[in-house]
Amino acid sequence: MSSAAALRVLTGDRGRPMCERAPVVVNAPLSDRYRLLRFRSAAIAVRARAGQFVMVAPVTASAPVLPRPMAIYTRNAEAGLVDIVYGVVGDGTKALAEVAAGEELQVTGPLGRGFVIRDRVERILLVGRGVGICAMTTVAQDLAETPAQVTAVLSGRNRDAVLGGEVLGACGADVLTVTDADGSSAVDALRGRLLRAFDEDPPQQILTSGSERLTRLVAELGVRWAADTQVSVEAHMACGLGYCHGCAVGDGDGTSESPLVCRDGPVFGLRG
Amino acid sequence: MQITEAGSGRAPTKPASRRGVLAVELGDLELANPVMPASGCFGPDLAALTPVDTLGAVVTKTVFAETRPGNRTHRLTEVPGGMLNSVGIPSGGIAEFRRTGLGGYAGLGTPVVVSIGGLSAREYWRVADELGECGHSAIEVNVSCPNLEHGGATLDTDLRAMCEVVSGVVVRSAAPVLVKLSPQLHSIAAAARAAEDAGAAAVTVCNSFPGMAVNVERRESALGNDTGGLSGPAVKPLALRLVRSAAQAVDIPVVGCGGIGSATDVAEFLVAGASAVQVGTATFAQPGVMARIVEELPALTERLGVDRIADLVGTLTPSDRRIGNEQR
Repeated sequence: MSSAAALRVLTGDRGRPMCERAPVVVNAPLSDRYRLLRFRSAAIAVRARAGQFVMVAPVTASAPVLPRPMAIYTRNAEAGLVDIVYGVVGDGTKALAEVAAGEELQVTGPLGRGFVIRDRVERILLVGRGVGICAMTTVAQDLAETPAQVTAVLSGRNRDAVLGGEVLGACGADVLTVTDADGSSAVDALRGRLLRAFDEDPPQQILTSGSERLTRLVAELGVRWAADTQVSVEAHMACGLGYCHGCAVGDGDGTSESPLVCRDGPVFGLRG
Repeated sequence: MQITEAGSGRAPTKPASRRGVLAVELGDLELANPVMPASGCFGPDLAALTPVDTLGAVVTKTVFAETRPGNRTHRLTEVPGGMLNSVGIPSGGIAEFRRTGLGGYAGLGTPVVVSIGGLSAREYWRVADELGECGHSAIEVNVSCPNLEHGGATLDTDLRAMCEVVSGVVVRSAAPVLVKLSPQLHSIAAAARAAEDAGAAAVTVCNSFPGMAVNVERRESALGNDTGGLSGPAVKPLALRLVRSAAQAVDIPVVGCGGIGSATDVAEFLVAGASAVQVGTATFAQPGVMARIVEELPALTERLGVDRIADLVGTLTPSDRRIGNEQR
């Protein structure tokens, strides 16, 4: 997570969340590492802004105590469907993997402040790693019908750990996959590649999620290109609304707990 | 119902209204039902998600005299059956609390219990003074705050110091004063009696249990503050025992708190001696859990064969009077 001193609270509207028990339509492997869960919620599908998240919890008695924050991967307002993607890493996501299609999931959302995309943005660069990519796919969804040129750099340990390529491609984004396995995800290599691609015609906005190293690279490129930079941040949360104060990032000097990731983020502006 | 009527020989009575069935009293404070949130586990934001005007009361996050930032991150971690938090009670201070309409709690359509804290007796009293008459229905004194005048231990570990604070708040408050005790006391009964002697209208039993979680890879606590408070289903048996001990020790009502997540849990605490309950951690995963519990309580009251839910309070049969024991 980025240090609070580098985070700027954006002005995106959080909208109106709701909570309900939503029917699960799909809960199946997306790759060796990740699973896709699709639930039916007309309200969340319509209201969700790009970069917002939901809190999800199985409704079984043996479920873990806390809900889990999940980025909204895609939403289909017409069909009333919302997709999230998760890796099974602990008891919470293990319990989530056991929810069968047809069963219900406790869902609260949409939550938080999403990405602020400029009107008539011409070029926008998304830089994500692992499951962090899933926080940015909704941006490409929103820009699919616009002239904006979207480029997505997707980073992961190997090809199997890289998500979102198909969704982003279907939204018209240029997709560049880089991996640790072939060395292409190394920051220096990626920096060189992005400078060659964009130095003459840089993006106006750069969005990132999922990696501190990539966040630092994005901040650096933002300064070089005078581009607006935004990051979606992950944090442990209990309530997702702000009242539990569990996800405070703090201002670094111990005088203030703000910002809260759930209420003020999860998307923040990066100070260059 | 049938059980009661048969057992008591009374003529069937007209069913009481739903409000009447669930009504409970905490001293002079009458609540439509026994369900309220635990301090820190509720916010006015929840009114957008779930009915809150059906709750017996709402309890605010603990308010201090001045702004305080709370503890460093990480503030939360999940453990089997519960969660640990070291949030550290951030507060915007009493002036902001008043300015924002009891921190946004006014106007929710249910009685507001204001939780107050302090690092010294004077701070508690200042919060009570400045709170004045703000439309709140009760004060809950959080005596689990570290007391800087007494070496930083929580206030309720020094019963004399706690009594001084509580009696000072009672003098300053037109509204009834509840005292929320921590679980880690030499004697919960003695602490509850001390609160009663100091003029408390009720005691809340109990706050979260001190605990920690260790990350062995990093050789670090999972919490930024090293230790935190354990809450959730794991603490329910511990809290039930403390509620029973406290209820046996005092004449004032006990508000039970610890791992409650269902209507049956509420009934367990009532039978153990609580007159009302607070729901904390369960709300995080199920924001509507308290409203659902309130909906389910009338049917449970009927199933348990009492006319009013308050009739369950303290009905736990002592072990030496159980029918099974007599037969043996």
